[in-house]
Amino acid sequence: MTLLARKGAQGASHKLAPRGRSRSLWPIALIFLAPTLILLFVLRVIPAGEAVMSSFQNSPSRLIAPEWVGLENFAVLFGSADFYQVLGVTGIFIVTIVPFQIAAAVFIALLLNERFPGLGLVRTFVFLPVAAPAAVATVIWGIAFQPRGPINAILEAAGIPSQPFLTSPSQALFSIIILMSWIGIGYWTLFLVAGLQDIPEELYEAATLDGAGWWQCFWSITLPNLRRTLAFVVVANTVSSLIAFVPVAILTRGGPADSTRLIMFDTYNNTFVLGDVHLGSAEVTVLILILITVTAIQFRLLGKEK
Amino acid sequence: MRKHIRYIAVAVAAASMVGFSGCAGEGADGENVSVTLLTADPQENLQPAIDGFEAANPGITVEYEYVPFDQYNNLIEQRVGSGDAGVDVYAADSGAIGSLASKGYLVDLSEFSDEVAAGSLPATLDANTYDGKLWSVPMWTSMQYLYYNKDILDAAGIPYPSSNLDEAITYQELLEAGKQAQAAGATWGVLFDQINRYYQLQALIESAGGGSGATGEDLLTPAINNDGWVSAMNFYSQLFEEGVAPRGVATEQMPVLFSTGEAAFIVSGPWQATTNANEGAIKYGVAANPVFEGGTPAMSTGSWNLGINPATDQMEASKKLVEYLSLTKEGNALSTSVLGISPTNVAAFDDFVAGLDDRDAPHTAGLGELTKVQLSSIAVNRPNSPGFTQMGDVTGRAFDDIRNGQPVQGTLDSAQAELQGLWDRLK
Amino acid sequence: MALSSKMGSTPSRQAFVTIAAWVVGIAFILPLVWMLTGSFRDKGELFASVYPLSWGILVPETLTLENYENLFAGPFGRSVFNSIFVTAVSVIVGLLLSAMAAFALAKIPFRGAGVLFVAIVLSFLVPFDAIAVPLANIFREWGLANTYAGLILPGVANGLAVFALRQFFLGVPDELAEAARMDGLSWWGIFWRIYLPLSRPALIGAGFILFLFQWSAYLWPLLIATKSSVMLGPIALSTLATQQSVDFGAIFAGAVFLTLVPLILLLVFQKHFTASLASTGSKG
Repeated sequence: MTLLARKGAQGASHKLAPRGRSRSLWPIALIFLAPTLILLFVLRVIPAGEAVMSSFQNSPSRLIAPEWVGLENFAVLFGSADFYQVLGVTGIFIVTIVPFQIAAAVFIALLLNERFPGLGLVRTFVFLPVAAPAAVATVIWGIAFQPRGPINAILEAAGIPSQPFLTSPSQALFSIIILMSWIGIGYWTLFLVAGLQDIPEELYEAATLDGAGWWQCFWSITLPNLRRTLAFVVVANTVSSLIAFVPVAILTRGGPADSTRLIMFDTYNNTFVLGDVHLGSAEVTVLILILITVTAIQFRLLGKEK
Repeated sequence: MRKHIRYIAVAVAAASMVGFSGCAGEGADGENVSVTLLTADPQENLQPAIDGFEAANPGITVEYEYVPFDQYNNLIEQRVGSGDAGVDVYAADSGAIGSLASKGYLVDLSEFSDEVAAGSLPATLDANTYDGKLWSVPMWTSMQYLYYNKDILDAAGIPYPSSNLDEAITYQELLEAGKQAQAAGATWGVLFDQINRYYQLQALIESAGGGSGATGEDLLTPAINNDGWVSAMNFYSQLFEEGVAPRGVATEQMPVLFSTGEAAFIVSGPWQATTNANEGAIKYGVAANPVFEGGTPAMSTGSWNLGINPATDQMEASKKLVEYLSLTKEGNALSTSVLGISPTNVAAFDDFVAGLDDRDAPHTAGLGELTKVQLSSIAVNRPNSPGFTQMGDVTGRAFDDIRNGQPVQGTLDSAQAELQGLWDRLK
Repeated sequence: MALSSKMGSTPSRQAFVTIAAWVVGIAFILPLVWMLTGSFRDKGELFASVYPLSWGILVPETLTLENYENLFAGPFGRSVFNSIFVTAVSVIVGLLLSAMAAFALAKIPFRGAGVLFVAIVLSFLVPFDAIAVPLANIFREWGLANTYAGLILPGVANGLAVFALRQFFLGVPDELAEAARMDGLSWWGIFWRIYLPLSRPALIGAGFILFLFQWSAYLWPLLIATKSSVMLGPIALSTLATQQSVDFGAIFAGAVFLTLVPLILLLVFQKHFTASLASTGSKG
């Protein structure tokens, strides 16, 4: 189902011309927005506010009312060498996984936009890992990566020495990235396929008549018209990668040698395993700041409109 | 018309939410009182004990809630820590008592001290004590043995290890035997049940003279990089370095590896016999815990105990429940009847031991006597440090790193520093 | 002449496309096939067969339904129903609310649309797991513990779904709506009669966002719904990993079930993603 955009899909989006004074549109807009806004406020904003506030407090036990300690929790965080390790690992992780997943998702979306026998089946195959329970998928990949597991079995049959994968500080993070990509790429591919199908045929017709080949069309028509979808996919992918921790929690617990100690895992570990709620809140606050910064940069780079 | 659709849609949405608010609380009317028991075991494991309690205490009903083990501590933190009166009695793990008590999550149960001292296994009184007071009552305990696969040992010409405590095999000899077994075709030489957890490895470390890792009067001074720890961990590292035990294989797989005949030895608890029996694939025997060369014998022990949430509004009934499940022979025995785990009540324990030899006859011959001897002489409790959770986490990750080939001294040193930092926050 | 929008313009390129697509497809589905066959295996065989390389990795030597029996002996059956119910309600209600909000942000000109959009984006930058605990306490105070409502509510307001739909709505030309406006259609009418019908792929995408949030939720149901009457699928599944042993076979069987529902949905909604080469006009 493609849509014809008469103005060209690049379309700046004009809001519909207001009828009457623009003030009179507020109540209507509010009715549309109210349920979501109220729910988001109660279910996200308020608890988030509590979490941020709790990062400025401390108490020896949950049952004892916390007192304000200012930036003490942050001082503890930034005073420990472990936290810089966490930030470093998270940085490497993000600059690797996001471009990798986006490039792979775009490539696969392009493939899925073609016609070939079994298209529907392949599409289902690609998306299905998203639907499998993450903990089970993690366990399966954990077994796959074992020193005496299927992947090494294949490698050895091909004459390649067996790899340590999750047991080596130099390979563990990348193994986690593969695992998480397997789980997530189908998700982004879905949106990119929809985005590809929204691009009007006429643009390609004109270019084909001009003699442009596929590669040229890709850079001059496809990518620019995917911009809105890409903006969404890149931001959402970054956010979801930064807040994922199940594979680390189950398989490596941050190791070996802290090489997979991602910030969300460390936060989860501090809050839920070690029970240090306030330190965990401080870490979450730092994480949220990182998320906001990265998202803002991405919006700026990727979109003319926000 | 369109307005109506909108209103209907909203009304349906609202109704679908309101209509499904269930009832969360139990009623406590004058006649019937309800106590909520929360543990990390599925309900069927404790059902006989619950039935027994309700029969002996008409007027009290037990509501049961089960939390998956790996989230259990977390959930206790959330619910007991937020003063949730919906939890009355809950299971408290050995080693966690100090932490729970110091946070105010347990009711002082010192009134039961004499009963515990008189009627429960000796090590259990200490296990439930912190700061001079009794905070929980024992329910179950555990012990460890050295299981060996007879076929593999026969094929490799290795003599069976002894179940006589005085002739216990040393860890070093065990390593050599494991290698021999592998040379004769076994996949793995030596396994541990919970191969990367403090509970399991504490015995190895204590046997090497490393102590529990928690020192100081407040048990908040870490000592996890002393000579004993280093020696123990050198041995541990060797196991994997030389391929005698596997890297990268999850803890949960260990029992199955042994029960399907892939390993010559495993240090594990009585539950291993159940796993072996279910698989029915191997001929095996049970021997005494290994001892560190030149060190003192040690064996991991301890399991779940019962504590009362201070926020409970059913104090009397809760106390009755814990007393029944822990300090009466009938209740304590019933609580272990499904799982086959060891009770802590002395009378129930004697029955338990008597039945051990038949657990998986003929392989488990002699298990009863071995259990009694080990439990009374070489059991080491997990320390009730207020920072035990932190220690379990930090050492667990250190064990993983060492297992994966990281240098022992360096890993222990940075674990020591990390734990010190965490424990300083608790002081 | 083949359009340059497609790679497969020559037979050899078409072959490349087909092969590449199938390699990708198989790479994605292989672990799940392993999970499926694992659910029919004997417990011991599951791990014994992973190494070294042989057909035994994928093809089970023993076939048994024991794992499924063990699976349904527990609370899992009821939990699947709970999961389906909770997710269905969340998706239906959530889609409506998200589409409404996205429409307002994209098409109704009012001051503050930009600010509100930023606010909504900020809302999904806060990791849900980070606020789950304070939120659980609030819900407990309101008596929503162990209720369906408590499980459904957090899944109904989803900033990501609003974001996705809003991006889509921005791309819909305004002339359609302006014409309708001239004809006297109200804002709700424009939304309901014009924009919604046009946005089926986006709605399906947003629907999947909402669906997956609820279907795979773990920490939230754990905090708020541990009674077996309201327990959800993933929690019931994790109860199969007890302290004494982990029943991998039953866990895989459960995972097969939990993947089946989205699979069926995917197959049902396949046709809405079909590229129609013939379509060049706007959907009327």
